[in-house]
Amino acid sequence: MPERFVGRSVPRVDARAKATGEALFPGDFSMPGMLHAKILFAGRPHARVLHIDTAEAEAVPGVVAILTAKDVPVNEYGLQIPDQPVLCGPGSSKPGADVVRFVGDQVAVVVAETEEAAARARDLIRVEYEDLPVITDPFEALKPDAPQIHEYRQPSEIHPEIRTEGNLICHHQIRKGDVDGAWSQCDVIVEGQYRTPPQEHAYLQPEAGLAYIDEEGRVTVVVGGQWTWEDQHQIAHALDLPPEKVRVVYPAVGGAFGGREDMSVQIVLALAAWKLRRPVKIVWSREESIIGHCKRHPMWFRCKWGATRDGKLVAAEVQVVADGGAYCYTTNKVLGNVTVTCTGPYEIPNVKVDVDGVYTNNPPSGAFRGFGAPQAIFAAEMQMNKLAEALGMDPVELRMRNLLREGSLTAMGTPIPGGVGLVEVTEQCALAAGWRRTEEGWRKPEAGGKRQGAGSEATRKRGIGIAVAFKNVGFSFGYQENCWARVELRGGAEIEEAILYIGTADVGQGSHTVLRQMAADALGVDLERVRLEVADTATSPNSSGSVSASRMTFMAGNAIRGAAAKALERWRAEDRPAIGEHTYLAPKTTPFDPETGYGTPNFAYGYVAQAVEVEVDTETGQVHVLRVVCADDVGKAVNPRLVEGQIEGGVAQAVGWATMENFIVQEGRVLTDRLSTYLIPTALDVPERVESIIVENPDPRGPWGARGMGEMPFIPLAPALVAAVHDATGVWFDELPLTPERVVRKIAG
Amino acid sequence: MLPEFELLMPRTLSEALEMLTQAREGVAPIAGGTNLVVDMRGGRHRPSVLVNVAGLEELRGIRRENGHVVIGATTTVAELLEEPLIAEAAPVLWSAARVFANPLVRNRATVGGNLADASPAADTAPPLLVLDAEVQLTSKEGSRWVPLDEFFLGVRQTLRQPDELLTAIRFPVPPSGAVGGFYKLGLRKADAISVASVAVVVEVGEDGTCRKARIAMGAVAPRPIRAYEAEKLLEGRVLTPELVAEAAHLCAEATSPIDDIRASAAYRKHVVEVLARRLLSEERR
Repeated sequence: MPERFVGRSVPRVDARAKATGEALFPGDFSMPGMLHAKILFAGRPHARVLHIDTAEAEAVPGVVAILTAKDVPVNEYGLQIPDQPVLCGPGSSKPGADVVRFVGDQVAVVVAETEEAAARARDLIRVEYEDLPVITDPFEALKPDAPQIHEYRQPSEIHPEIRTEGNLICHHQIRKGDVDGAWSQCDVIVEGQYRTPPQEHAYLQPEAGLAYIDEEGRVTVVVGGQWTWEDQHQIAHALDLPPEKVRVVYPAVGGAFGGREDMSVQIVLALAAWKLRRPVKIVWSREESIIGHCKRHPMWFRCKWGATRDGKLVAAEVQVVADGGAYCYTTNKVLGNVTVTCTGPYEIPNVKVDVDGVYTNNPPSGAFRGFGAPQAIFAAEMQMNKLAEALGMDPVELRMRNLLREGSLTAMGTPIPGGVGLVEVTEQCALAAGWRRTEEGWRKPEAGGKRQGAGSEATRKRGIGIAVAFKNVGFSFGYQENCWARVELRGGAEIEEAILYIGTADVGQGSHTVLRQMAADALGVDLERVRLEVADTATSPNSSGSVSASRMTFMAGNAIRGAAAKALERWRAEDRPAIGEHTYLAPKTTPFDPETGYGTPNFAYGYVAQAVEVEVDTETGQVHVLRVVCADDVGKAVNPRLVEGQIEGGVAQAVGWATMENFIVQEGRVLTDRLSTYLIPTALDVPERVESIIVENPDPRGPWGARGMGEMPFIPLAPALVAAVHDATGVWFDELPLTPERVVRKIAG
Repeated sequence: MLPEFELLMPRTLSEALEMLTQAREGVAPIAGGTNLVVDMRGGRHRPSVLVNVAGLEELRGIRRENGHVVIGATTTVAELLEEPLIAEAAPVLWSAARVFANPLVRNRATVGGNLADASPAADTAPPLLVLDAEVQLTSKEGSRWVPLDEFFLGVRQTLRQPDELLTAIRFPVPPSGAVGGFYKLGLRKADAISVASVAVVVEVGEDGTCRKARIAMGAVAPRPIRAYEAEKLLEGRVLTPELVAEAAHLCAEATSPIDDIRASAAYRKHVVEVLARRLLSEERR
């Protein structure tokens, strides 16, 4: 297939509309006769709702309806298991739905003629609660006598592998080789304990949407999300409607990063519009957004790794406990990824891993760029950098001796899928960052501990560090990965218009631009002839899957190629319009063996290495990131400028997680519920130099060789940064974020 | 959402003062609104009447007058940055304006509002304290000038009476030998509230002795404060590294910080000492 558009940095399809302000985001839609909704959140971490008195609230002029648990036909939802009530309260159709389990649980929806009336009425609802014991520490929650946050739940039909047991959401384990017997073969053993913090997605656009009944009688929800088909099915389930009576449309979406995979306003909006037969709009404030959606899983790691004197890894033992918060969300899958990645991208003969996901009364943890890999790779790469120090070996040299290569066996005992770019990204990153390859092996540049300024007052020290990562592309663990697309060709003698129907979301990363480029080349037509009909379940009724897991370019590209080939065949058979529809099925994967973890959890991976240079003010504790080098094996850069955008954005977001984002929850209550207390990097905090190195080592199954990359640039930054701070100061930091106070305390000893 | 309130739009200063006198309880002047509106949305402040003074010509402008620099109360922080007189005569204030919040807030926030709001972390307060600034409080009955150091009483508390308006700020033009600086430690490089801040102005004679020292600190006490003991120690002596270190220690001693979600009291004390020492050392060179 000739590449005319794949590989070129063509302008984004949404560039003009977003630059001029013409692009409409979910909060921008209005309709005549529209009502406004406000949600009453629980505001307490664990309590039984005994009684809801809405009399006074209903008397507020302009109030049309107040919906509570008794109004929800099937009062449950959840992406993996339906363990969360749509609305918490008495009179529910489901047992246990009268309990609120975190501060952001929703108790009532007030619908009124104006936003002001809805807000006033919400504040007049009287709720009688019986407070229940609050558990916020996952280790406490795992104790046998701990109060139970959820009632016993039968395994669901969709995910029979999730068997929650008490407060344990899930457990994964790996037993490869003989770890206990292997320690005696190790010349060096490094033990470490690490803690990674939660992270708020802080997307530009807080949750918002408009629901109405469309001309075909479907309850239609215009909202920001990541998977139209899944939203449609979750709404249909809760409203007890057939899916075809529900329509989900995504306009421009103001960022997602995983935080829009789970429901927020979708079900309640649909419920209100369906019951009242009038359009209903909601726009969350930033505070509501921060309380109302999931966070990156906080995790605790206990690691013991051993190597021989010449730097060959012999054994790795890792125990992980993750706080899943009040509901499962995607905890089981996130922790599957942690299981795969917590021993790093290395071939290790003896591996023992135990990973627990735990319910607590903290805000739920869920999907966030990297999906568990940033936490797991932090622990793994901290271990590697400490091992290099203990061995007196260059950190790049140590990695070169252990990286997974073609045919290497993973911790799961099976070979890594072909097209492994780890050595290449590590080499290219190291060389660009100043490492030298000598006859004695790799040598680090001399930045370490170098003082800036003069004399004894020089308290600004520089250092450099490196880390390497891998992460799966696409859905894992036995889920049959699939993606649907349809191509319709119109014209006479030649193709005048090609319409691509696909259910994908563009959440700001530019996926629609990339899909159009691939469609043009798959069809051999000019870019201008390809029109997109996307992200509307009315026109794309089948699932194209979520825009997550760095999967969309890989999956949609293959679906488009299949649909294009079929459409061209019909075109040659002189159908007008010529239509081709295709569901691409990725190679099968398997779940972990429950005892040994053996299996093939993934069909593709992305590979990335990063070097970070910092300057540390040893007296104030401030860490300035001076430079980041990121080498990312993307297989094929369909649009190189968009790849660079993902690298720079991923680096900025990871710098935030590693250095300043400090999500504070006390007794289940969020203390940092606004962007003046939860700080994310500003333009001045983003490293001045981010050097993107695009490595193109084709994925054998990827479209045009492309593999996924959206999450990769986030993953190795934190351990590379901590290694740089160690290089500058001689101190290891095992806990994030590196706030000035934490840095000063540790340096002072 | 914003609670309901009455918004009055005076056309002249005397109209504004009349409105402040007439209004019952719960009246508040508003200019940039960058603190007040946020507080009202959050329910921390519920004035029933707002008097908008932002458009009043009498409160605008920066000028030199009788050996003083006079700043109209509704001068925005962005205007401090644009005015050469500030950069020349009071670089310590200019430096604070440069790291104040973010460009959007700087375009609206006023110097008078920043002082009248009396946040312990107000970034224009420490530099104006070291400049020996006074604020003008005006009511229907007349005007009074009050030293800024006496104006601040506590957290969000000042000498201003409900019928008074903060109308101007003035400070003596520092002599040509005066040098100073401001440093703010926030948890990121822009748009962050000070964890601690320090402003310093010293006048050093040709013989190397310190003639006058002023040091002020933000976010380390219920109000922006001066470090009197440290100032006293420095005056009349040569700024040796040992003396500077001792003075910096006295600065930390003068604070009474709190633990909050941004930092601990101990860290604030530590950082104030580091920042004071660095600023004084820079002036020594």
